[in-house]
Amino acid sequence: MTGSGTGSGPEVAQVSGSVEHLFRHESGRIVSYLTRLLGPEHMDLAEEVVQEALLNALQSWSYSGIPTNPAAWLLQVARNSALDAIRHRRVATDKEPALVAELTSASRAPRPDDVIRDANLRDDELRMIFMCCHPVLSPEASIALSLKTVGGFSVREIASAFLADEATIAQRLVRAKRQIRDKGLSLELPSGFDLRKRLDSVLDVLYLMFNEGYDAHQGEELTRQDLCLEALRLAQLVAVSSMGAPRVDALVALIALQAARLPARTDGLGDLVLLDQQDRSKWDKHLIRLGFYYLDRSIAGKDVSPFHVEAAIAATHTRAATMEDTDWALVLSLYDQLLQLKPSPVVALNRSVAIARVHGAQAALEALDPLEGELALKSYYLLPAVRGQFLAELGRQEPALEDFRRALALSCNTPERRFLERKIAQLEQPTPYRT
Amino acid sequence: MSSYFLFLYDDPTGWTKLSPEEMQKALEKYVGWSQKATSAGFLRGSHRLAEDAGRVIRGAKVTDGPYSETKEILGGYFLIAADSYDQAVQRSLDHPHLEYGGTIEIRAVHPMHEQK
Repeated sequence: MTGSGTGSGPEVAQVSGSVEHLFRHESGRIVSYLTRLLGPEHMDLAEEVVQEALLNALQSWSYSGIPTNPAAWLLQVARNSALDAIRHRRVATDKEPALVAELTSASRAPRPDDVIRDANLRDDELRMIFMCCHPVLSPEASIALSLKTVGGFSVREIASAFLADEATIAQRLVRAKRQIRDKGLSLELPSGFDLRKRLDSVLDVLYLMFNEGYDAHQGEELTRQDLCLEALRLAQLVAVSSMGAPRVDALVALIALQAARLPARTDGLGDLVLLDQQDRSKWDKHLIRLGFYYLDRSIAGKDVSPFHVEAAIAATHTRAATMEDTDWALVLSLYDQLLQLKPSPVVALNRSVAIARVHGAQAALEALDPLEGELALKSYYLLPAVRGQFLAELGRQEPALEDFRRALALSCNTPERRFLERKIAQLEQPTPYRT
Repeated sequence: MSSYFLFLYDDPTGWTKLSPEEMQKALEKYVGWSQKATSAGFLRGSHRLAEDAGRVIRGAKVTDGPYSETKEILGGYFLIAADSYDQAVQRSLDHPHLEYGGTIEIRAVHPMHEQK
């Protein structure tokens, strides 16, 4: 786009009154609020009504500018249009009089007690997350549903983050909503032990959502960052609520500290930059502060969850000014602990990298041996890639090359592919000036 | 300086395909344009029009508004200051409405009605 010729205003002006992700976040809150009022079986209507409200805002504010309280404006318009839908389409007949009363009393006067209103909306959002993460739903369904309803993502955006086609995601959402209806899931929070179990399933879903964004092997970089930050926002929402617990704080810390590295993870060309090559000044300082704040909170109590240990590992990397400064002995002992709490071949694979730093590549190579037959790692490109790296460090060029080529044959995204190709090129022609 | 009306037409169903985030991006561009036009001193007014068809009166006969053949409807207007049609066009060319597939019709206010 070219300038208008007058030249007095800045070309890309900061739009005053605009709040980052306002539409997305308000959409999530209002959908949750209306779903509580209308009942989970009418979630579609809630989503529809909110979409209309956003569209209305877009068309009005384009001419009048953004109002002083855009969130209240959106809530008001959504309430009115829900009311309209109830009157004309006669949904939720048994609850209609109560609903109309709630919606009209709410719309009569914009209340001065915005603080209470905010707290109530947050509570609705929280209940919605807990319902979306109900264990009867598959984790994939929970992630998609949370992103759609509470996150305010569109089907297309979710599909692009997962590199799935839109029809698949749409189908997954329809099925999840049908399950909610058929199984009569409600927004009531369970109590006692069931609440603890439900909280664990919420945390697992948020952890997966984050990882999906963080090391997804495919998908668009930008959408994936949105996914990471949404997982962070939702985890924080749980952490500051009455559901908060040390392991929730640990999850927030873990996500924040890892997400802080996102800006340094790819270079200008979109190529992958590994931890040892990252420009650490690009790490997001706000997220680092947030991460350490929650890490401190997570130490309250005697609960030690895998999230605690993973957060501690991330914190150890963050504290180091350079790769060489990293306290690798600490990292390794944390991985030992993590492996005890969460025995998984992926953890063992990551642990081998710490072994290489502490005891050398030969020891690391030996630590990989037991992972050879692991089904979970069968098509995971990182296993041969990591082994190739160890072999290269030991000067065993031929087997290293073989491993990098094996890695390349497995599924990985374009930056990862280019990274492997660079490694192969370096090993084939070890010219000293090209590292 | 004369006044020019920019009439913004579009197909409103096009917007329903956008996600909340995309809608907000669009909104920021629209509002950004107005803010820039205001600080440059040439924006004189703007209104969104109601989405109904309006009314048309011919002789004594009142009918519902003009249903156009196309799906595009008049959504609102901006009033800007410019020296000429050329400048009015120049000042409108970077309006995000065009980027989103809309149409802008520019009409000059008759010079006799301009206040000095």
